[in-house]
Amino acid sequence: MKHQHFRQALFLLLIFVPLLGFAHDVTSADQELLRNGGLWAYIRVGATHMLTGYDHLLFLTGVIFYLNNFIDILKFITVFTIGHCITLIGATYAGITANEHLVDAVIALSVLYKGFENLGGFEKLKVKSPNLLLMVGLFGLIHGFGLSTRLQSFDIGTEQFLVKILCFNLGVEVGQVLALIPIVFIITLSRKHKQFPAFYKAVNWYLVLAGIGLFVYQLYGYFNGYH
Amino acid sequence: MNLIRRTITKSLKYRVFRPFYLLLAVILLCSHDLYIKMDTYFLKPNQEATLSLYNGTFENSENIIARDRMQDASILYQGNRLTVDASQWTDKDTTITQFKFTPIEAATYVAGVSTKARNIELTAEKFNNYLKHDGVLDMLEYRTDNDLLDQDAIERYEKHVKAIYQVGDVKTDDWKTVLGYPIEFVTLANPYEKYTGDKLEVQLLLDGAPLANQLVYADYIKVIHDHDHGHGHSHSHGDKKHKHDEGEHHHDEHKHEGKKHSHEHKHDDGKHSHEHDGKKHSHEHKHGDGEHSHEHEHEGKKHSHEHKHDDGEHSNEHDGKKHSHKHKHGDGAHSHTDKSKPEKDHSHTSGQQLRTNDQGIVSVNLPEDGIYYLRTIHMVSVTDSDELTHRSKWATLTFEVTHKHDDSTHTHDHDHEDGIPTWIFILGSVLIIALLFVVFRKKS
Repeated sequence: MKHQHFRQALFLLLIFVPLLGFAHDVTSADQELLRNGGLWAYIRVGATHMLTGYDHLLFLTGVIFYLNNFIDILKFITVFTIGHCITLIGATYAGITANEHLVDAVIALSVLYKGFENLGGFEKLKVKSPNLLLMVGLFGLIHGFGLSTRLQSFDIGTEQFLVKILCFNLGVEVGQVLALIPIVFIITLSRKHKQFPAFYKAVNWYLVLAGIGLFVYQLYGYFNGYH
Repeated sequence: MNLIRRTITKSLKYRVFRPFYLLLAVILLCSHDLYIKMDTYFLKPNQEATLSLYNGTFENSENIIARDRMQDASILYQGNRLTVDASQWTDKDTTITQFKFTPIEAATYVAGVSTKARNIELTAEKFNNYLKHDGVLDMLEYRTDNDLLDQDAIERYEKHVKAIYQVGDVKTDDWKTVLGYPIEFVTLANPYEKYTGDKLEVQLLLDGAPLANQLVYADYIKVIHDHDHGHGHSHSHGDKKHKHDEGEHHHDEHKHEGKKHSHEHKHDDGKHSHEHDGKKHSHEHKHGDGEHSHEHEHEGKKHSHEHKHDDGEHSNEHDGKKHSHKHKHGDGAHSHTDKSKPEKDHSHTSGQQLRTNDQGIVSVNLPEDGIYYLRTIHMVSVTDSDELTHRSKWATLTFEVTHKHDDSTHTHDHDHEDGIPTWIFILGSVLIIALLFVVFRKKS
């Protein structure tokens, strides 16, 4: 029975692979969509960017893995959401931007951080781990700044500026909810399996490796001007 | 300390800046192209748009256009020609005349403005400088070849300008309609069916007939979309706060935030000061050979103006406060410079220098995304008039060009598009997790 659950979880994971790939393809026409598609386009592009922004999803996966009950998940996701809303709306409205590679490099470090913490890295180093809720809020701010930088790379015009930002933000939240549903579902299912500890370790080690990989990738992009 | 600072400032002003300003003044004097400029030439139906008349350069407008100068202002779309009434124009910052409108129907629109002729009297030197800086090279060559460079000029000039912009996705044929201006650019293709990297052929008509062998200058400003605090694009619109115009010229009335007041000058020592809304404001004048300079302090920001006074009217705006001067002086040149915003030495002949062929056609390269502007001045010598020596007709045309928005030419800078393909990332991630899972399961 437990094996069956685990297989179901993996099956679901694989089901969402092509979906995410499909969603990403949409971004090639994002600018055109924003130019002609009205406010709905901002919601759609916001959702797409969240669904295809694997750095955001990896961080959320790390957060969910650490939590055992729905209330905690709700609490942490709310803090993360508040954090990214503040910087997404605030930085875009104020026109504050930074190099996308550097912002994404910091986001990559947040993924590395979460994997490291979930694996008990701080305990092994005999260092007290920082308050997780605080860190999730802080990383929420950074992720929001990354989303803001991305939004500002589009030509979004002068009219209904704030409304467009809010629509993009709404899209991000819709995308986040859509992404969280399978993530929470898979992790919840996997917890019931006896191989969960190995799965937990595998995913969190993967977060560490992915964090390092994305960090190096973004720095490479920054120093070599790769876009 | 203040005395030393003032002495140094004065010395710098007269020895260093003044020659520069005077040179600039000559350039500015000779350069008042008229353009119809928009923030963007791509609009959506029901999106409010602003047509701005830039009188100066394409980057900076220095004058408004008096309504009685406008002979015609028209909007053309889907075969309809609407006349823009004089009352529909407003002035912004005393430098830009604007018309706001909301196009409803998707189409390729044409806007045109035609101004009445005016005369200007210039000394030989100023006239030669103007011909050089504005690229009226054929006339300059004619004067050089015929030993006429020392002859003063009285020129009658008139300006006729057009813009073509796209509303929505429907491309219509209005771009080919001739507005019937004395001089006019007419494109031979819809600019909105041309893309970055293409060429656009444009025909120049003088009194309705193709004008051959005429110099035409084509340039563009890149469209850089950066979000400033005003929450929009910035398209390198340098707003100058000065106005130069011909007309009556007084020096006795200022207006600050709608409050009029006047002040007295002592012209023997060339200095005077006054206060506006509690803010000290001092002027220094030198009324020698038609020139004087002003120093102002507004909200702690010091800046100065130097003037050559002729028959002009001018006004300034500082920190959002309207400030106008009216002067009455003798004839002569008149220009302003503002130290707080150093002027760029601009040229009116930058970009592509083209010459029309026998059919009056030039082929304009469109190398980058941007707002393109074409200009020409057709000038002839007048021999049958006691009043005039020259007559000129000026034409400009503006439009915007962007790249094709398809997959083959899509060049937007978004990492996730050009970076690791998502499917590779996800497939790799699943494989790594699976591999790690196998390793950790064996270990446990």
